[in-house]
Formats: sequence, structure tokens, C-alpha cells
Amino acid sequence: MFIFIIFLIILIFIFFTFNFINNGKPILKVVDITANKSDIVRPKFSISGKKSQIFITAKNGNFISEEKILLENNVKFKSKEFQLESDNVIFDRKNLIATSENKSKFLSKNTSIISAGFDITENGNIINFKGQTILIFK
Amino acid sequence: MNIIKLIILSSIVVLYSNFVISRGIGETEITTDDGIEVFQNEKYYLLKKNVKITSDDFEISADIIKANFDTDLYDITLLETEGTSNLNAIKYGITGKGDEIDINIKSEEIIVRGKNSYLNLQKTRMNTDGSIKVNNSLQTFELIGDNSNLQNDDLNIYGEYISGSFSELNGEKQINKLNVEDDNLLNINTAQLQMYSQKAIYDDQTNIIELFSKVKIVKGQEIITGDYGYFDTVKNSYKVKSDNTSKVKVTIKKTNE
Repeated sequence: MFIFIIFLIILIFIFFTFNFINNGKPILKVVDITANKSDIVRPKFSISGKKSQIFITAKNGNFISEEKILLENNVKFKSKEFQLESDNVIFDRKNLIATSENKSKFLSKNTSIISAGFDITENGNIINFKGQTILIFK
Repeated sequence: MNIIKLIILSSIVVLYSNFVISRGIGETEITTDDGIEVFQNEKYYLLKKNVKITSDDFEISADIIKANFDTDLYDITLLETEGTSNLNAIKYGITGKGDEIDINIKSEEIIVRGKNSYLNLQKTRMNTDGSIKVNNSLQTFELIGDNSNLQNDDLNIYGEYISGSFSELNGEKQINKLNVEDDNLLNINTAQLQMYSQKAIYDDQTNIIELFSKVKIVKGQEIITGDYGYFDTVKNSYKVKSDNTSKVKVTIKKTNE
């Protein structure tokens, strides 16, 4: 019984440590492609908003359908007003919608937001930070 | 056993550091369970589910909060809460609870709505089933609705409509004008008296509470009724008058003593 409890604790510890080291990346990825096998290397896109443009960059991009691209590793959304970072983002080129289910970090003037994911819709007008979210104003 | 303790402690630390960033001095922290929806063109954002706003000066919690901003996200002009809402403005001595709370940062106005809602302004306690509005900049307050009640150390007032103004002296807020109205009779209680009428006004310049229409003053076993009455809060004296159509009536209750 004692050994079983220790084993259980070690198992929980390993799980959370692994999760922490991977910084919230899902253990099972939808597409697991190494950098050199990417459909697009260092992809760049932009969303033209009403007031300013949002530029999207990543290390890798892989087509998951004709319109949807999975952007992976160091994905950044940059505009004059803010910067948004995540590791896995699905970008719909046709509808200009970006979706992430991964830990995301938003930075703008005196403001930082950390969430469990996000959606960007309506040409960048609406940003929906998903799940448990923390916003800090300086 | 020490190893087990170490493993448990490490697990907690790893778990905690994965999810939590903490607020520094002078910073405002907002946490939600179901995210934040930012509408950049419309200049507002929705904070969803179990929302908590914490700063050095105040704490707000509610189910949903809509925050209107001016230029940047931090530049909040108006907060509108929905669901069980709590406010604790430590710096200003204001606490409140209601179904909805509106906080207008620019005009310094707070509105609390809902059944059993309250707003405490230092020693002045305001309760209602309707709405309570306090404007810190204009130094005014207004209670509208059933079971509206205002209490401080000297007065306990019940009426459907209670409004007035306050002033601040050495950091203490004191009521200096009052207007109370209730078609079904308002009630003002002091340590010695109970007063009833349809309308009452108070001015701290005269220290007099004036009562209008269907006036009744109860002091111990004595009940006086009439059309107009006043109570001098300094001299602790009162008078009741009547118009031409009716007379002042005095009733003295009998006791068994």
C-alpha cells in the first residue's frame, strides 16, 4: 500500500513536470511534423483590421486543409497596439480567423494577459481569450 | 517520509508556477474562469465567469463584468457587473453588494441594483430592493425602490425614495441634506422618536427634520398626528401643525404600570 502511494505520487509528479517543461503544449499533437518537413518554413500572413494590420509569423506552418494552416512554434501576432504569442495556432486564410487552444500571452501598453487559448475573429476586431485567464494592468 | 513530503511540495510548486502570475504593488489583477472577450472597435471587453478584480484600492467580484475603455485596455472608464456582485473600495470606505453594480470611473458614480442590495459609505449603511446611486464627485446619493433604508449612528430611515448629499470632514463622510418620500408613509427613527409622513426633508444648516402630509410623531406613550411637523435634532423638540380641514390629534397610550 505504501509503495503504491509513493508510485502514484511519483507518477503525478512526472506528469506535471513534463507538462510544465512543455509549457502547456498538448502531449498529443494534431500534427507532429518536424521543422524540416514543414509545408511552409517561417510563414507570414496579415489580417487587415479597421484601424491597423495584424502581422502573423511562426517558425513552421502545415496545411491541415485547403484554407486552414497549423502554425507552430513561436507564433506571433503583432500590431501597433499589441503582441500575442502562442505555440500552436490554426489560421483560416479565407475567413481570417485564428484559433489556439494553447497557453497564450498577450502584451500591450501596461497590459499583459495570459490565457488557455484564444480566437481572433472579425478581421482582428474581436479577440476572445479562452479558459482561465489572468489580466494584469501596471 | 521526508522524501514523500519533498515530492508533494515539489508537485505543488510546479503546478502553481505553471498557472499563476502574481500582482505587484500598484498593479491591478483580473482573473476569470471563462476568458475575456475584447471588442477593439467598440472599445469594451467582457470578463466572463467568476470574475475577480483586485488592486491596491479596491476589490470587485461578479459573474460577468463589462469593462469599457478609452484608448488602451487599462484605461477603463466604466465597469458594469452582472450576477452576484461585490465591491470593496478599501481606500474610500465603500462596500456594496447587489445583482448589478455600475462603476463610472470618470464621474466617480456607483450604482448598485437588485433585491437585498446594499452600499455602505463609511458609517452610513444603505439597503434596498431597487437601486442605490452614490456620486463621490458630486457628493450625492439616491435610493429608489421597495425596502429602501438608510442608517447611520443618529438616524434610521425607511422610504421608497431617499436622496441627499454628504460632505467630507477630516476624511469622514457626513449627511448634510436629506429628502425622503413614500406614498405609503416613510419612517424616520431617532433614539427618542419615531416619525411618519409622506415626505420629509432635513438640512444640517437648520438641524431640522420637516415632515409633510399624514404626519405622525411617536414619543414614548405619546402619539401626535397632523399635516405638518418638524423635529429639531439639536434641541430634541418637535411640533405638529394641521391645515384648516383637520386638527392636530394627541393620543396618550395607557400602560399597565
